[in-house]
Amino acid sequence: MANESTPNDRLKSIWQNQPSGGIRMSVDEIHRRAGKFQKKIYWRNAREYIAALVVVVFIGFDFWRTSDALTRVAFAMIIAGVVYAMWHLHRRGSSRSLPADLGLASGIEFYRRELERQQDLLQSVGFWYLGPLIPGPVVLMVARACTHPGHLRPIGLSLALFALVFVFIWRLNQRAARRLQSRIDELNGLEGPR
Amino acid sequence: MPNDKSGQDALYEEAINTFGGALDRLARSYEADADKRRDLLQEIHIALWRSFEGFDGRCSLRTWAYRVAHNTAASHVIRQQRARSQTLVGLEELENVPDDGEGDQAADRRYALERLLKLVQSLKPLDRQVILSYLEGLDAASIGEITGISPGNVTIKIHRIKNILARRFQEGGRRGE
Repeated sequence: MANESTPNDRLKSIWQNQPSGGIRMSVDEIHRRAGKFQKKIYWRNAREYIAALVVVVFIGFDFWRTSDALTRVAFAMIIAGVVYAMWHLHRRGSSRSLPADLGLASGIEFYRRELERQQDLLQSVGFWYLGPLIPGPVVLMVARACTHPGHLRPIGLSLALFALVFVFIWRLNQRAARRLQSRIDELNGLEGPR
Repeated sequence: MPNDKSGQDALYEEAINTFGGALDRLARSYEADADKRRDLLQEIHIALWRSFEGFDGRCSLRTWAYRVAHNTAASHVIRQQRARSQTLVGLEELENVPDDGEGDQAADRRYALERLLKLVQSLKPLDRQVILSYLEGLDAASIGEITGISPGNVTIKIHRIKNILARRFQEGGRRGE
């Protein structure tokens, strides 16, 4: 406990003697809560899968309803794209539990690892999110153009709008990734020789 | 090295008996909302207990416990930052920001604690780790071991912390200064 011989010692003393609203858990309690916590993570992940399943069911219904072969191919591609993006996000994204080596990593190492993980997701958004979601809607619009040859102009416009939105999302992600890089560089500058 | 559950449990109990209070304060400085703070503290306890499965004595129990707690809390901050679009500042920026506090009230311990908490909660995760360790009375070498910041940079950061605290809680707490 800090004595109060200097003003900063007084602040340390105020800090260290603040009223505690903390929790105390017995070992049995921690075992129980650790199990409960794992279940919570399991259900959080399950919710993400269920959300993807709902999307797949809706598009699957359209797939089943249509008789046009090319439209069916388009819906199948959309489903495949959604499933791939969800799987990738789950594998590398935010819905994981904390790593077990928390005590081995210093603050800088851990924080940098988290930023690099986020940066990697942002930089590769074209491969795991935008890319897989492009073919389905494009084929769908081609199928529409084939079945409705009189509507080429609005279909072309939709296609152009679709391309613009995807380019915009891609650029936003690249910009966010560059911003993270400056934070990573800042951390590297604080670290001693590795 | 503990290779069974009882060793893991014993290390957890020892860590909580020794650093339990510091972990409570740490959770407080990372989360202002009482309910979320309780969840965060519980997450820290569970992460600490789990981590002792891999504790090999390469660093002290104190360094280990603080690393686990700070890393768990930093992960919480990153998640919350995404959700709230919260802007955090570094010690460098804070050093140049004029203080809006009231010096007369700074003498009051409860008021000083509230302001101190607000200040700590506004900092980027790594700077928060340094100031918390400083307030807990850890020396520069221990702070370097926990955070991974080089000794030279820890010294600079502590110097900045002292300046900021002096300006905000002593003479600089007065308006207009």
